[in-house]
Amino acid sequence: LSSVPLQMLLYINGVYYIFYFLATLAMIVYKSQVFSYPDDFLAPDLVLLFMMAILEVLQLYLGSKGNLTEEEAPLGLSLAATVGSVLLSVYFLVWQTYVLRADVIISAVLLFTHGLEAALKVIAIAAFVS
Amino acid sequence: VAKLCVCDLLVAQCDVNCCCDPDCSAAEFSLFTTCSVPVVTGDSNLCSQKAAVYSLDVEADPPERIFELTDQVNPSVFCIHATNYEQALSFSSPEIPTSENFDQLLEQFGSAAFSAEPHSWNMNPDAQHPSDANETYRYEYGAPVQTVDAFLRLPSPVVSSWCSDVNPAGFLVNQATKCTRSVSVETCGSIPAVSMGFYINSSILAVKFVFQVNITVQSIVVQSLNGTRTLLNGSDVLRLPRILDELCINTVFRVSYHITYTDAGEIIEAAAAFVLGAINKEALSIQQSFEISFTQVDTTPVPLSGNPGYVVGLPIRAGFRPQGYPFPGEMLFAALVLNTNQYNQLTILQSTSSQDCLAAQGARTPVLFGYNMISGCKLRITAATKCQPLTQTLLDVLKGQSFPEYVASFGNSQAQDVLDWVPITHLYTSEERIYNTFQSSCQIPVSLEIEVKWTKYGSLVNPQARIVNVTATISTTTLKQLPSGRERTIPVTSSVVFTDISSPAEPGYKAWPTINVKLPFDFFFPFV
Repeated sequence: LSSVPLQMLLYINGVYYIFYFLATLAMIVYKSQVFSYPDDFLAPDLVLLFMMAILEVLQLYLGSKGNLTEEEAPLGLSLAATVGSVLLSVYFLVWQTYVLRADVIISAVLLFTHGLEAALKVIAIAAFVS
Repeated sequence: VAKLCVCDLLVAQCDVNCCCDPDCSAAEFSLFTTCSVPVVTGDSNLCSQKAAVYSLDVEADPPERIFELTDQVNPSVFCIHATNYEQALSFSSPEIPTSENFDQLLEQFGSAAFSAEPHSWNMNPDAQHPSDANETYRYEYGAPVQTVDAFLRLPSPVVSSWCSDVNPAGFLVNQATKCTRSVSVETCGSIPAVSMGFYINSSILAVKFVFQVNITVQSIVVQSLNGTRTLLNGSDVLRLPRILDELCINTVFRVSYHITYTDAGEIIEAAAAFVLGAINKEALSIQQSFEISFTQVDTTPVPLSGNPGYVVGLPIRAGFRPQGYPFPGEMLFAALVLNTNQYNQLTILQSTSSQDCLAAQGARTPVLFGYNMISGCKLRITAATKCQPLTQTLLDVLKGQSFPEYVASFGNSQAQDVLDWVPITHLYTSEERIYNTFQSSCQIPVSLEIEVKWTKYGSLVNPQARIVNVTATISTTTLKQLPSGRERTIPVTSSVVFTDISSPAEPGYKAWPTINVKLPFDFFFPFV
């Protein structure tokens, strides 16, 4: 049986991630205008943000598909993508060039939802395997 | 943050109303009214940073300064929580060009526009404490020269003409100051600033905190009450002021420091030359003069008077052809003896207050380019003066001891380039027409007129002055025999005149372009 909490979380995560992506992009633009943000540091931040977007889309789609069709394989791939997403959100929390307080807040929330998602996916995989 | 203080402007002295000044004691804090710098913080964009807060507690008696180191929090949601980019919040020190990286820097910054950041950051500046950067011990231009106790002092007049002893000498800043100091015979032993020891006691630190260089005494000149100066032979002895016959002798009238430095910014030698004098009972104050000059090691600076053309106001350079070269027409000149001592250049008589030619003691002033000068003195002749010695004396007075033979045509003429040097032409004229040449009379020179003709040379936009011709004309007059017992005063004058003989410039333009068009041979084919 599909896991309803997981589906809800995936939906909320999708919406929140759109907000997160736009907010982080806007703050990078703000930082590059207000502070000294050389190209050597700006490029990695933008690249990682877009990679994170791709990983998120992948993870949400695969997770949702796996949950609804009750198959483990897409859920497993989605879990792997979630790990990558977690790493990237840790990067945006701690290792970014400029970490503003707003960055800290939204990245922490994203990290929390990812953690919760990962736990629920593991439970769902366990449920589908058995 | 606790060490930064913007209002601490005076070295080793307390600034008024500057609560963060480390040189102030508690007693001085009690005299302040407000704090001119209440808060010193780091970058306010950070979410939390250290702040040093200075305030005056006026309730307490006496008022005290309160210093707190607090954490200031920025409430905005866009404050910087952390940065992983070290140079984010401070100005970056640009790379100092050396011979290795000059080409790379020129390539990067040599064009009209360049990107804001260079390729590599190989410096790690300490953004919080720029003042105690440990990497430079060497002196920089203008930095106070440090000695063991404080800094090398060059007393100078501050507001009025009285001496203030807290003026530090700046590195590579050649200065000369004169100031008045109040002394009297009774107190001359107790005032430190009139004794030699005050100026050579503390040794100079060669690099800022490490080696010491002792100040050696270069020469001591003793000046007597009537102004005569004698150079002392042994200058190792420290002569302290003492009272002798109601005079206080060995008081310092003039100190000249000569400091030798290397190009790494270190001081390797320091010497001081003193003029000591005597003060008598009536004197209430003396005028002291101080001078400091810096020379680089292993160089002998030759001051140029222009590069290449003469600059108005700089002395004319002159020299002699060394003996042994009797062929003036040949181009095989040896190097002309360049006189770096200013009193051996082209000089004219300097008028003195006593106006007596014989008492002038050879006072001469150098001829400055572009400044027409006239000077003179009076000569007293009695019946007993003989013609020939008088002529010789007057020639000495007018021309000086070593009148040069050649004058440099450009301000930077080198001694090796003989064609750059203009010979001085001498002319002799007589003031009175001698109708009767058979009457032997004594002709004495009474005036020397040097006429320097110069022209403008070079481009129209930036013409350079070049001396073309120098003529020294000596006019003589007849000395009439005086009846015995009478005396006469004759005026003796010398003058320098600069004449501009440049011809009006004609700009040379390129030829107007012409249209060189020829129609081809068969242009009007069917008709021709």
